[in-house]
Amino acid sequence: MQPIQLFELASRQAQWLTVRQNVVAGNIANASTPHYKAKDVKPFESVLQDSGFQMAATNKAHFTDSFAASQVAEVGMVDGVQIQQSGNTVAIEQEMMKTGEIKRDYELSAGLVKAFHRMMLMTVRK
Amino acid sequence: MDPLTSALKVSASGLQAESTRLRVVSENIANARSTGDVPGADPYRRKTISFAAEVDRASGASLVEIERQGTDDSDFNIEFDPGNPAADEKGMVKLPNVNILVEMADMREANRAYEANLQTIKQSRDLISQTIDLLRASQ
Repeated sequence: MQPIQLFELASRQAQWLTVRQNVVAGNIANASTPHYKAKDVKPFESVLQDSGFQMAATNKAHFTDSFAASQVAEVGMVDGVQIQQSGNTVAIEQEMMKTGEIKRDYELSAGLVKAFHRMMLMTVRK
Repeated sequence: MDPLTSALKVSASGLQAESTRLRVVSENIANARSTGDVPGADPYRRKTISFAAEVDRASGASLVEIERQGTDDSDFNIEFDPGNPAADEKGMVKLPNVNILVEMADMREANRAYEANLQTIKQSRDLISQTIDLLRASQ
């Protein structure tokens, strides 16, 4: 029998989406900070293809990258977005669009988990 | 700390920064005509505020904080008003270097940024409650 991987996939996507929401919140909060460069996370495809190999931390003094820290990257110039005179590269409209996107995706993945869970219960019940 | 909680924290820091900015703007507008009270005295000087990004060590999120509050060193407006207690011997009065239009524009911008942060808080809260709802609906 095939192992059921949907829950793992869904939780990975939920984690990626929450990290992205965190980054977008940071961009919006810093919309009027001079010299702030807008950040974004790497696309979900690259998380999926990530082999998961990491440096092992065998000592308390070793640094480890958290999932969140390893995914965040500064975005370069986006088409049509002007860098303001203060050196800030946040475009608030685009950030709002991103939060909308995150919300929709999250709803979808939570809905899928719910549906799948219901299906599993249906098979288990008498 | 999980990313959604820290997103709430980041947005809260944005709200705090923007509301301080609104406070500075209202101080400037309120004092737009505050002159000195002895002849030739300096009037109110316009205040400024600037923000800086601060990385939260625990979550790696970028909070916003107030870097410094300074004053605008540009020249005062000078007006002829011999009846004013702050008028010098030629009848000239120094008025604050506050431009109401600039302050209004700044206020609108702070207002918009505040709204954007509020929206983000709502959004993050929705995501959290959806996650909790996963436990509920299935009987």
